[in-house]
Amino acid sequence: MDGIDREILRLTQDGIGIEERPFLHAARTLGISEEEVVGRLERLRDAGVIRRFGTRINPRKAGFAANAMVVWSVPRDRAAAIGTAMAESPDVTHCYERRTVPGRWEYNLYTVLHCRDREAVLRKVGALSRATGAADYRIIISTEEFKRQPSGRIEPATGPGRGQ
Amino acid sequence: MQIDPHDRALLQRVQDEFPLDPRPYWVLGEALGMQEREVMDRLEALVRQGVIKHIAPVLEPERLGVRSSTLIAMRVPERRMDEVAAVVSGYDSVSHNYRRDDDYNLWFTLAAASEEDLAATLDEIRRRTGIPTGDVLDLPVVRRFKIDVRFWLEEERYGRDR
Repeated sequence: MDGIDREILRLTQDGIGIEERPFLHAARTLGISEEEVVGRLERLRDAGVIRRFGTRINPRKAGFAANAMVVWSVPRDRAAAIGTAMAESPDVTHCYERRTVPGRWEYNLYTVLHCRDREAVLRKVGALSRATGAADYRIIISTEEFKRQPSGRIEPATGPGRGQ
Repeated sequence: MQIDPHDRALLQRVQDEFPLDPRPYWVLGEALGMQEREVMDRLEALVRQGVIKHIAPVLEPERLGVRSSTLIAMRVPERRMDEVAAVVSGYDSVSHNYRRDDDYNLWFTLAAASEEDLAATLDEIRRRTGIPTGDVLDLPVVRRFKIDVRFWLEEERYGRDR
């Protein structure tokens, strides 16, 4: 990733315009063609710097009112198999294995589900539990969003943001 | 909220395969049998309704120099929640911060360029909020199986419950 790539990401990360030529602004700012802008974006996507290029949706407004984190305690030697199986479900947007805090917090598998309502969450979690045999879990519903922003951002000139 | 079937098809496509082309809305229109103008009008309306936040690259933090990240859970006394949450949200390195319905009632993600920076920020948060270590869980990732924040909107294809 070179300086121009970085600038393209910085200029597009907060959203491109809904206009006939949405990459024209970045192209003019950088003195390159629109074809080069989209070509570089494609390469950054292929290289994995861009996870995906597309719309960021507000789940609540799109009809996905319930967001639940479900934490599961599963045997360590089965975590990979169970995690992989849970990741297959389209309702599961995030699936991670995390370190435990022995004696205080034994949950090692984390899933985030977005569903239409709380009942759908409960049904889905029941189905995941039955399918994988993971029976020790806790559903932790979010009740207030204090902050939600993209976790990857390009800051002007210097590099990623690092606290205060 | 009910979404019109044309909007739903459009939303599905712009989540999955937004065309990287100088005229992306024209390309979308070709694929969906709509005029470029109609595609833009529909997307603008979805932005106004708050369904779409924006159309942008979703970046991979690890590829941007973020080497270390974790999930933190805190037990915060209810009466102190707003104050503690505001301190936490004030950090650029915190991307997500939620109140959750659990004994551990505040959950946030923290990212940094190194383990040392991460530990220093967490120490500072503990100091500034006065939440004791015994009420804090530090839960770094061991393995990532999936992160894919897309939504299946086309109910007629996928069904409500899946």
